[in-house]
Amino acid sequence: MADLAEVKGMIEEALPGAEVEVVDETGSGDHLRATVRAPQFAGKSRIDQHRLVRAAVQPRMDDGSIHALSIKTDVFDPGG
Amino acid sequence: MPANPELKQKVEELLGQNQVLLFMKGTPEAPQCGFSMRVVGVLEQLGVEYGAVDVLPLLDPLREVTGELADWRTFPQLYVNGHLVGGCDIVEEMFESGELAEMTAAEQPARAQAGAPQTPADPQQSPPLQIENS
Repeated sequence: MADLAEVKGMIEEALPGAEVEVVDETGSGDHLRATVRAPQFAGKSRIDQHRLVRAAVQPRMDDGSIHALSIKTDVFDPGG
Repeated sequence: MPANPELKQKVEELLGQNQVLLFMKGTPEAPQCGFSMRVVGVLEQLGVEYGAVDVLPLLDPLREVTGELADWRTFPQLYVNGHLVGGCDIVEEMFESGELAEMTAAEQPARAQAGAPQTPADPQQSPPLQIENS
């Protein structure tokens, strides 16, 4: 079971300036959905955007506190 | 654990031979996982020719291979022109936006809706590919 605030913090730390939302999809606390809009995503393929998010939370995947993570990414454009 | 070199070579060959290649749990006719089924549904709606590899018989060895080739260990995985496009989330998102049709040079269906009822099995679809355990 993951600490949603901690997971959100890990993503924000890896991607400074990102808008991050982490929700518990099933109520079990281990199937999470992260919606991330980050300036660092500009010019990157979707898979590379997902790799960045996944890498940020990898320790919680490795220790089993997150069983499944669904990721949705978007480029954060402060002007748009 | 490093990937089995023979298996890795076999996967690289398949990637070279199939413009669109799906690594999935089960087969297109009988998917064994909801995410794999959704990616099959997208490919059927696009009507592109694709190869499908059932990863279940060699799940852990194949994780090692895709980990080394594409830094990705969960299935399904869709490859186009030898490059990993993504898993279910990305495939559905890129289908709805039309990017996947563009990438595979397929015609975008009038109503691109991931999760829409699947059309009957497409005759263009290539038979499941086998990776034999050696």
